[in-house]
Amino acid sequence: MELLQTVWDVFLRTYPGFLEATLITLKITAVALVLGTILGLLFALMKISRSKILQTIANLYITIIRGTPLIVQIMFLYFGITSLIVLSGFWAGAIALGIHNGAYIAEIFRGAIQGIDKGQREASSSLGMTRSQSMRRIVFPQALKRSIPPLGNQFIITLKDSSLVYIISVPELFSMANIEAAQSFQSLETYLVVGVYYLVLVMIFTYLLKLYENKLDVDK
Amino acid sequence: MLKGSNIHKSFGNLEVLKGIDLEVAPSEVVVLVGVSGSGKSTLLRCFNFLERINEGSIEVDGQVIDPKKHKLSNIRAEVGMVFQHFNLFPHMTVLENVIEAPMIVKKMKKADAIVLAKSLLDKVGLADKADVYPSKLSGGQKQRVAIARSLAMEPKVLLFDEPTSALDPELVGEVLSVMQQLAQEGMTMVVVTHEMKFAREVADRVIMLDEGRIIESADPVTFFENPSHERTKQFIQLVD
Repeated sequence: MELLQTVWDVFLRTYPGFLEATLITLKITAVALVLGTILGLLFALMKISRSKILQTIANLYITIIRGTPLIVQIMFLYFGITSLIVLSGFWAGAIALGIHNGAYIAEIFRGAIQGIDKGQREASSSLGMTRSQSMRRIVFPQALKRSIPPLGNQFIITLKDSSLVYIISVPELFSMANIEAAQSFQSLETYLVVGVYYLVLVMIFTYLLKLYENKLDVDK
Repeated sequence: MLKGSNIHKSFGNLEVLKGIDLEVAPSEVVVLVGVSGSGKSTLLRCFNFLERINEGSIEVDGQVIDPKKHKLSNIRAEVGMVFQHFNLFPHMTVLENVIEAPMIVKKMKKADAIVLAKSLLDKVGLADKADVYPSKLSGGQKQRVAIARSLAMEPKVLLFDEPTSALDPELVGEVLSVMQQLAQEGMTMVVVTHEMKFAREVADRVIMLDEGRIIESADPVTFFENPSHERTKQFIQLVD
């Protein structure tokens, strides 16, 4: 009971700062998702294209990103890019997360596109559609819909992964928790509180996703 | 209307078609039969250029088609195909399925495409299903929509690849009767099927494929009553 009380005290003391930090976490996640989706689509298209060069570039990107730790990518981008141009920690972190996400989202899109029954493409070409027409009108709309559940999953991972940008001092949720824990010596309580913040965010996200998926099912 | 000369097709080392000569006259209904693996579906897919032939030539409406020179999408627009598994577009309503190709390929105006689609859906007896998604249809209804979708491109020839094989027995009749109606209206058709009753009653010519070759080609009466090849006799006994 005593622990609960102190946790509650920590919560009350920290929430103004933590809520502000939550906003930064959400912003960084949003930027990472938008960038990741654009890159993911681009690299998925390259991977299924008939050009060997484009395929190779996409494969290289995906292999490197999936084969190295996110935290290394964040550091690399932060120190790499800031040596060339002035970039805030926020943007360096968001871009690193976006590039990281792009590789996973590319695989989600590619899987969804290739998972569409080949009869769909045969039917559209038998009707006289060109490859690009059948991709645009028949394959993509179905693949996009199929990507939504795994994309939602990836979005949740990104939200949690955004905590790693604490390493480049972006004042997001986890950074704030670190500072708070160090100053107050109430580490247990502080990390418990911040854990709940993430949990609630993920639950809201999951709920919204569920609503959207249900809506798609009804539409069909 | 459609003419294949000396068609050879191999998948790897397996030669599936070993020199097929087949000419289909305008308004003719040709039924292809044969045991599975005899190459009848492959032949049909070659006629639609879904498979590239290794040797020989294909003529559509008097024009030899060279896949390297001709835009295959233009040729395919003239040779319609109905598939065993329907392959309707699940993200579109029945009406959208039918108007899609005329609008995208022929650049038909939407209003015109809808008029065309409604008359075709009416023809296959599904006018009331225009706004329904394919997942809500029975197999027989799906196949009739697929036929309407092919007809919307006003093809010169319509190919049917086992159009009733995926259907429950009680749904076969509705699809066959639509096909029979098309035949009577003068549509040129090549049909791969196991429905011997349809072959007897609707076909102008029945062709037996065996191990990649045509071994029998005759009008239905001769084909079923007096076949010349031993394998044909066996086949007829087997399926009848």
